[in-house]
Amino acid sequence: MAHQNATKRNLQLLACTAPALIVFITMKIIPAVMGFWYSLTSWNGINPKKPFIGLENFREIFTTDSYFWDSLLFTFRYTIWIVVAMNILALLLALGIESQRRGKGVFRTLFYLPNMISLVIGSFMWNFIFTKVLYYMADTWGWSFLDHSWIGDPTFSFYAILTVALWGGTGYIMIIYIAAIQGVPEVLHEAAIVDGATPFQRLRSITLPMIAHSFTICLFITLNNAFQVFDVVYTLTGGGPGRATQVVAINIYEEAFNNSNRFGYATAKSLIVFAIVLVITSIQLTVMKRREQEL
Amino acid sequence: MKKEKTMKKITTVLVMLCISMMLLSGAGTKEQASPAKKVTLNVMMSFPRFTEEMEAYVAQFEAKMLEEKGIEVEVELEMPSSDQYRNILQTRLSSNDAPDLFTLHATADLPTYVEAGYVADLSSQPLAAKLYPDVRTSVSVDEKVYAVPFESTVWGYLYNKDIFEACGITAPDTLDEMKEVVRVLKQNGYTPFQLAFQEQWVPQLMTALLLGGKVSGEIPDWVDRMYADQGSYREVADIFEMINLVMSNGTPRAMETGSEQGAADFANGKAAMYIQGTWSAESILSVNPEIRIGVGALPVNNNEDCTRVNLATTTSLAVYADTPQKEMAMEFANYILDDEDSSALYESLKFNPVASCHDFDQYDWAKDASRYVAEGRAYMDLVLPQAVTNEQGKLLQSLYVKQVTVDQFITIMDQTFKAANKALAQ
Amino acid sequence: MNHTSDTRYSPRRILIFALLISYALFCLFPLVLALVNSFKTRSEIFTNIIALPEHLEFGNYGRSIKSMRYFRSLLNSAFISTAGLTGIVFFSSIAGWALCRFKGKLSTAIFSLFVLSMLIPFNAIMIPLYRIATVLHLSNTLWGMGWIYSGLGVGMAVFMYHGFVKGIPLDLEDAARIDGCNLLMTFKNVVFPLLLPITATIGIMNLLWMWNDFLLPLIMLQSPSRYTLLLSTNMLFGKYASDWPAILSALILSALPMIIVYVLLQKHIIKGITEGALKG
Repeated sequence: MAHQNATKRNLQLLACTAPALIVFITMKIIPAVMGFWYSLTSWNGINPKKPFIGLENFREIFTTDSYFWDSLLFTFRYTIWIVVAMNILALLLALGIESQRRGKGVFRTLFYLPNMISLVIGSFMWNFIFTKVLYYMADTWGWSFLDHSWIGDPTFSFYAILTVALWGGTGYIMIIYIAAIQGVPEVLHEAAIVDGATPFQRLRSITLPMIAHSFTICLFITLNNAFQVFDVVYTLTGGGPGRATQVVAINIYEEAFNNSNRFGYATAKSLIVFAIVLVITSIQLTVMKRREQEL
Repeated sequence: MKKEKTMKKITTVLVMLCISMMLLSGAGTKEQASPAKKVTLNVMMSFPRFTEEMEAYVAQFEAKMLEEKGIEVEVELEMPSSDQYRNILQTRLSSNDAPDLFTLHATADLPTYVEAGYVADLSSQPLAAKLYPDVRTSVSVDEKVYAVPFESTVWGYLYNKDIFEACGITAPDTLDEMKEVVRVLKQNGYTPFQLAFQEQWVPQLMTALLLGGKVSGEIPDWVDRMYADQGSYREVADIFEMINLVMSNGTPRAMETGSEQGAADFANGKAAMYIQGTWSAESILSVNPEIRIGVGALPVNNNEDCTRVNLATTTSLAVYADTPQKEMAMEFANYILDDEDSSALYESLKFNPVASCHDFDQYDWAKDASRYVAEGRAYMDLVLPQAVTNEQGKLLQSLYVKQVTVDQFITIMDQTFKAANKALAQ
Repeated sequence: MNHTSDTRYSPRRILIFALLISYALFCLFPLVLALVNSFKTRSEIFTNIIALPEHLEFGNYGRSIKSMRYFRSLLNSAFISTAGLTGIVFFSSIAGWALCRFKGKLSTAIFSLFVLSMLIPFNAIMIPLYRIATVLHLSNTLWGMGWIYSGLGVGMAVFMYHGFVKGIPLDLEDAARIDGCNLLMTFKNVVFPLLLPITATIGIMNLLWMWNDFLLPLIMLQSPSRYTLLLSTNMLFGKYASDWPAILSALILSALPMIIVYVLLQKHIIKGITEGALKG
């Protein structure tokens, strides 16, 4: 009787989850599995033939593809900068907003506005600023520190990308921090004030520890997104000049869709990136969850 | 309570929207499954910048078919962006989902496609007889015509005739003469070269022209040897002299200037020369209709034989060999070179005349370029792997911002070519 | 966090306020500049970039609307987003609910599958996905995009529905069953209405994602008549690279729908973010 019931229950479960499972398996799981398979072939995306070459792609990536590793390094560099900058900025903004008496809503609304607009559009707007407006300011108002090739010069284009990424992404993280800060019980603050604590001491001893869980989440989000950055760089510099700002997502995209259309090879690369991201975010989550518990 | 109401409203609206969308799209598809005597042609083309003109021409075709043959034709025009065009086309050809007609790059792709059996023989069609001899060769394989040429261009670099005349100079034939031209221009306060390196295909035009000239003038078997992993960019290293000359005497902020911006600046007289193809003439003229454009062959070194213009038939229309709509597809192909309407089309697209049915006058610059061809100073566009040309463009950008040296350029290009060969072999 | 010990106009407060204002200006800077310059003529832009336009040149907008087939693209984006959303909501809600109610090994397994899939980055699957879409004739169709987004979005949505359903008491469902409702009816009449709050959140979050997505449409859609708003804008940028007023007006037009949605649904959006993140 119980056995029959269990089978019936399982069938019902499957029936309910079937639609979701079908689309999800078709669009995510099967491609992921195919990805594994393709990475072991030399498929060029067009030819129906997909010759199996085992781990040859991976050998090639590890021995001769310096562009790939360069782009990975560049992505690392970008990730570190953006994770640190975005989280600090978002936290400061959140704290700043929460410390105000009035206008909190207005600020919050304004600060999140850039996030609502696709980064592609935002990048084009910034492109206008970098290629026209800043030069105008430099030429007309004599602000020569602005007179740089923000998109063409490898040194400066990095900062240009960071600026746009911060502009378009901080709002989201900031909102999470605001919610976390709002979740700190008032009583703790009141008690601390009675004890004569300065705002800074309160910040350090009460607020920060109490929002520790949000650090974990925000760090995870920013880390994950930073590694896969594509839109900003693609529209702002296209990875250029040359390959100076080529992040790994663009490297893979070009390998597959431009150049020699080496789909198999490109998939192998994306698997490596996936593995790296997985390892890093797992470490990040484990470490921080442990620290959270300690706090 | 209010919140719930708002939620309900939002959900209802979304659901309504979705349902109406489904109905609308359903309605749309129903219409197409209409009665007989209606033919649908799928045409895929790779110049989205001419979407408007082509749509207009297609409408004319549909009208003509209806009037003359009483057949209702619907031409579905697809214009993917050019970077992915080849992938899409090849995917569709290999999955039996091919369009009835499609454009391809005559010089580069025709031999492969003919061999694979994808394109139909057009030699017996009226259009074939109308083609100019040179042009006919460029769209033929084994003397048979396989595509209708659209863009047949002769190009080198563009120069501003007014500026040249004001300085009393003419288009140079050797590297030394070009250096003199540069000197004179600067003396008179003009910037010699318009630089627009934001999009890597523009600087790549330099390598295309220089390699073409050098190879056809001095090392005709270089390309074949490169494909056999037996050549090196070191053999053509003198192209870097001209590249250096151009990069050191050009407009500032090149990395921020896209091809259109470059065309606009050139039109406004910001520089005397612009290394761009004649296809750019349309944009240039739209900014400044008064400008007098000349075409020159870019010198490579002091060997005049290497100073040539590029002769290329690029975008051409082919008929899919196994199309179920063979008759109508052929009609369409023939219509491209229609006695009455073709001239207007080619003129609006600012293409060169390719057949006897074209009676519009060549633009001045086109005549300039043709002069080189008449003198035997042209070369057929070199066919290099796409990965190689992409890399050339990127490296030129890097060279400009001084991130690579000429030596590194050569080494990297050799490696890239070998890698491309390897990919082709797989 | 305003405490009695802080004076109203302390230097600290003022400093913070000033910094906040600066950041607000930073946020608005590109938008305002784009807006102001979109109304100028081409030559005007070069004379003074910062100043207000002499008169409002609406012609720029006219050109953009025509060149990027604005309304068509808008409809395309709306269609894709709505189709994807419908799929996500309907598929995930019932799945999430079932996974919560039918506890057991099977449900844990399926649930883990959904959750783990959220980690799969788009890069790793975009190429095989392109292949699958071609094979299933989903590529270059708006419907296909809807299906694809459904597949990509159910993972996260199932997770959220599951979390929400946990908090709903079983009483109502039990009552329905006693009344003779079968599974589907129970879900449809009793459970789904209760899921509206989280549905709204999921709806908004996914709408934002799909509307602003770039890479997937770039790969899948080849006909300009099927381009989403972003793709059309991108195409325009290539076409008119020197006609800044036209481009800027196109950018403003592209950003407009989302800005309007934001203005109307601000609170829900922000709530959605906080809930989504902090529960995860």
